[in-house]
Amino acid sequence: MSSDPFLVFALGCAALSVGLLIGYLIVRPKLSRATKLVLLFGIGLLPLGTAANGNVAGYHATKTRTFCSSCHVMTPFGDDSSNPGSTSLAARHGRNEAFGDENCYTCHADYGMFGTIATKLGGMRHVYEYALHFHQLTVDEALPRIHIRNPFPNATCMRCHSTEVPGWQRIGDHRSLLDRLRAGTVSCASEGCHGPAHPFARVAHIRAEQAAAASAAREETSP
Amino acid sequence: MTRLLQFSCVLTLVGLALMVWSMLVPTPMPVILAMSVGQLLGTVAFGMFGYVVLVDQLRTQLRKHRAKIAARAARELANDASDKASPKASS
Repeated sequence: MSSDPFLVFALGCAALSVGLLIGYLIVRPKLSRATKLVLLFGIGLLPLGTAANGNVAGYHATKTRTFCSSCHVMTPFGDDSSNPGSTSLAARHGRNEAFGDENCYTCHADYGMFGTIATKLGGMRHVYEYALHFHQLTVDEALPRIHIRNPFPNATCMRCHSTEVPGWQRIGDHRSLLDRLRAGTVSCASEGCHGPAHPFARVAHIRAEQAAAASAAREETSP
Repeated sequence: MTRLLQFSCVLTLVGLALMVWSMLVPTPMPVILAMSVGQLLGTVAFGMFGYVVLVDQLRTQLRKHRAKIAARAARELANDASDKASPKASS
């Protein structure tokens, strides 16, 4: 992170600006042309440099796995995808250099011209959900309730796995489901295909469903 | 005006603090605060600075304009006085 040139430039601008402003507040010189020029840099240009470069640095930071798993209910997802021993779909992709530290964003980002904006707006929804519904829950309580808002689109997988190469088409299931996979009517992450990307979350969902069914059955049988 | 400028400096410092916090601790809350409140404070502070500079500039121009008018009036008064003192010379 410290090698990010945008971050270094933003912090440099902020340091210079703080120096100028504190100097002004201590010395309190008369409002001459020189003072105006100093304040133009201190209040205007340097903070603008900090904000602009800080936005870019912040945007880079929001793509990292550490950012995504900084909310406590996301910790198991981050831990699993960075676990070199895990065989989950997310972890196997996380070990790929093309995904690396940004594996959450790479798979969950939207595409198209306004994809980044749509992704960031979706991220704001996550913040809203976390602040209002998940903040007070423990990880075990939250896991069965965390679910993907829309079904994971095959188009995400097809950015890398184009479905065009002979090696991919040699697999019988791929070949037989080709049209449905491309149309998105069968998910790559279906049970029996590649499975869910975060299997532990699926297990938590199943356990919660079983517990709910058992308690409903108990209520029915009780007098 | 000086007070407003000092307030603008303090607002800028607070905005910068939020932005630097978001860069050093890039978690959701600092990043959201920096990109909303931090930048809003910076923009308001810069607006205040612009207002102070504009008012100062207008005052300076007004002062110069008044001084020019006063100088012209004084010159005219001086000319009138010299005309009255030596009517032959003027005729």
